[in-house]
Amino acid sequence: MASSLDSQPTANGTFAADPASHIAKKPKILSTITPAEILSEFSHHDPSVTRINNGSFGSCPASVLSAQKQIQLQFLCQPDDFYVNHLQPGILRSRTLIKQFINADHVDEVSIVDNATTAASIFLQQIAWGFAEGRFQKGDAAVMLHYAYGSVKKSMEAHITRAGGHVIEVPLPFPVTSPDEIVQEFRRTLQRGKTGGRRIRFAVIDHVSSMPSVVIPVKELVQICREEGVDQVFVDAAHGIGCVDVDVKEIGADFYTSNLYKWFFCPPSVAFLYCKRSVESSCNLHHPVVSHVYGNGLAIESAWIGNRDYSPQLVVPKAVEFINRFEGGIEGIKKRNHQGVVEMGEMLAKAWGTHLGCPPQMCSSMIMVGLPACLGIWSSEDCLKLRTHLRDKFAVEVPIYYRAPKDGEVGPVTGYARISYQVYNKPEDYFKFRDIINKLVFEGFTCESLSNEKA
Amino acid sequence: MASTATINGTTTAADPISRIPKKSKLPSTPHQFITLAEIVSEFSHHHPSVARINNGSFGSCPASVLAAQKEIQLQWLSQPDDFYFNHLQTGFLRSRTIVKQLINADHVDEVSIVDNATTAAAIVLQQVAWGFAEGRFQKGDAAVMLHYAYGAVKKSMQAYVTRAGGHVIEVPLPFPVTCVDEIVQEFRRALQRGKMGGRRVRFAVIDHVTSMPSVVIPVKELVKICREEGVDQVFVDAAHGIGCVDVDVKEIGADFYTSNLHKWFFCPSSVAFLYCKRSMESCDLHHPVVSHAYGNGLALESAWIGTRDYSAQLVVPKALEFVNRFQDGIEGIKKRNHQAVVEMGEMLAMAWGTHLGCPPEMCCSMIMVGLPACLGISNNEDTLKLRTHLRDKFGVEVPIYYREPKNGEVGPVTGYARICYQVYNKPQDYYKFRDVINELVREGFTCESLPN
Repeated sequence: MASSLDSQPTANGTFAADPASHIAKKPKILSTITPAEILSEFSHHDPSVTRINNGSFGSCPASVLSAQKQIQLQFLCQPDDFYVNHLQPGILRSRTLIKQFINADHVDEVSIVDNATTAASIFLQQIAWGFAEGRFQKGDAAVMLHYAYGSVKKSMEAHITRAGGHVIEVPLPFPVTSPDEIVQEFRRTLQRGKTGGRRIRFAVIDHVSSMPSVVIPVKELVQICREEGVDQVFVDAAHGIGCVDVDVKEIGADFYTSNLYKWFFCPPSVAFLYCKRSVESSCNLHHPVVSHVYGNGLAIESAWIGNRDYSPQLVVPKAVEFINRFEGGIEGIKKRNHQGVVEMGEMLAKAWGTHLGCPPQMCSSMIMVGLPACLGIWSSEDCLKLRTHLRDKFAVEVPIYYRAPKDGEVGPVTGYARISYQVYNKPEDYFKFRDIINKLVFEGFTCESLSNEKA
Repeated sequence: MASTATINGTTTAADPISRIPKKSKLPSTPHQFITLAEIVSEFSHHHPSVARINNGSFGSCPASVLAAQKEIQLQWLSQPDDFYFNHLQTGFLRSRTIVKQLINADHVDEVSIVDNATTAAAIVLQQVAWGFAEGRFQKGDAAVMLHYAYGAVKKSMQAYVTRAGGHVIEVPLPFPVTCVDEIVQEFRRALQRGKMGGRRVRFAVIDHVTSMPSVVIPVKELVKICREEGVDQVFVDAAHGIGCVDVDVKEIGADFYTSNLHKWFFCPSSVAFLYCKRSMESCDLHHPVVSHAYGNGLALESAWIGTRDYSAQLVVPKALEFVNRFQDGIEGIKKRNHQAVVEMGEMLAMAWGTHLGCPPEMCCSMIMVGLPACLGISNNEDTLKLRTHLRDKFGVEVPIYYREPKNGEVGPVTGYARICYQVYNKPQDYYKFRDVINELVREGFTCESLPN
């Protein structure tokens, strides 16, 4: 199952071949991975936990972890040799593979970073310098979605608001019934933002929002940005590669980031940041942790930010190898995950008498399922408490989202569970969740009964 | 040492982090000290045929700490949400508390854990950049660094200070250096020169132990001079710090102090701390990678910068446990490393007819040893080529520094090897190096013969 990693150290402490170099670059389907093999690959997952939250922290198969360990051992064995002879070629190899997957024009456009949170900081720091250096004026605007990830919102505050920029949030409906709702809100917000002659310097658009999780029509929104004269467009696809279709040229954004440890079977943590070459500001991007390679372009800067464990960034080839053991490779996985999560979501919604948070075509491998109103979820705190209760009492891991009811709603559904489906999941996971909620309903459980314990 | 998972997916109290002793516990009787055989075993993952006399670059980590790290990684992989909610922050607090005790900080709030000193420098310098952007500093205000500041720090000064409008001043330092006073005088001179014309010196970054060439800098005296000369902020870069030199942050008196723990404190790659004196809270330090923890103080911001493997930062208790298996703990290790590196350095200098780059009291567990002039090291490229040659041909790992000869010097020593001594080293490592160089000399080898 795991390829033998024949990095043989020479007598002088150098390594002739390194662990990553021999891994097949093109899909080579010898035989499709079997359910038993999948089980084995994820046998390190706690067997007693119903793990239907792949979206938060991702997952990594044993064969990739094993390859990662080989790389770590190689470093520990002779770090100088590793640093001088293997680190940079390994990172280049990962970048090249990613370039192919995302249809970027040139490997220079692909940098590897820790996670989308880091990528956002890199992009936003460049904007902050824009204000400091007079390219942007105080009051110039930046747009983000209301459902932007918490870290991104804070990053906007830390870099943009602090620098004098005006941050505009696009209100989005939830539940949502069609992409058009989102498109209309976005256009409206941009136009409102421009009133009084204000310049909109950039927009941050989620490809798949986190909570609540919905697939955003990024291609259309990027187009609107161009039409409305937005200078730079940054797509935050924390949930991206392995979850939705990622063709950066098709999507057309200036910058695009996605994690590889969430849906692409890499260990924590590794992500990429794509910067379109033709965009002038691309060359202004710097990694905030400055090392001696500062000024050589973001890709080179990100490949050395001081001494640390770069192994997650070097096992991308091994993750690709794992993916190619599945029928249809990553496309097959995406399709089956999507079908799986829609089927399970509909099953749950039916069992509970609730509904999905969006139509099936607006979800990827995650979907929002309404929880029975009688559970009495009345705040974000209730969501956290219920989530903890589900984890501690029933070993079900699933994040819950609070939707504030609108005026006049009767018996509103205020809580939505975000279920994920990844290759290691099975229907039993969702049947268990279904039955637990049904049991809680049967017992007359409400969130009020939960103590104010630390989530 | 497996952490037992409960049926509900939470872990029992017996998780890998909590089982580690929280307080430093010195062994009570001598026979409990680690044995030579145990040390060999702990570092058996090091390449057996490499003379690894460069602990300074990438550090080293014993097998027992690596095993503890692996437990933590497995715990995360097994149930990441539970780890995130129930174990991550307590683990961080435990590491920070141990560091606070080791460095004599007043309060654990003053201690943040970051990846490495390079990151710490970016954190401190980013706030200097905001100082310029937000009008607290004026264009032309100065920042001071040593000529021998680490390459990454120099670039960081360029990226954050020069770019923001600051004027960067380098303090020239002699090498070889003969006494502490040479450094003190140069520093004071540079500060006074910097202040001419009424210029404000806003910031100084001072190495505790320079990297190349490696010399222990009299930081306490330099910090005092900074105070006397009205420097606003003093940042000590002790990438080589804890486990290498004495680190008492109150004694040293700097506003910010960073040190790696993966170099000389037996932690895995990578973990470091950044100490920020409480009175500097107004400086508003932030981690450049902004997460939802933004605004809660640097320590909390640094403890969550998005999903990643934090295990290296959580094994500090286990590293302390390892350190305490040695007689007199970290103090004993430091002392013995220092004695050994001086002894080995003097042995080499004598064997090659050269000299040390500084007096023994100005080195810690690293020392610069002159290489025979006949090797013909005439620039930086030669040092890299020679280093590669030593690695590839002879299995010796040692960085080499190029010192530009002064006018009129006859047969100058231009190349210096930076040798390190850590607990896994033995005299044979240095005899091997000695003999390799002697062989090269005998063969009439020069760097000119090496390909580009």
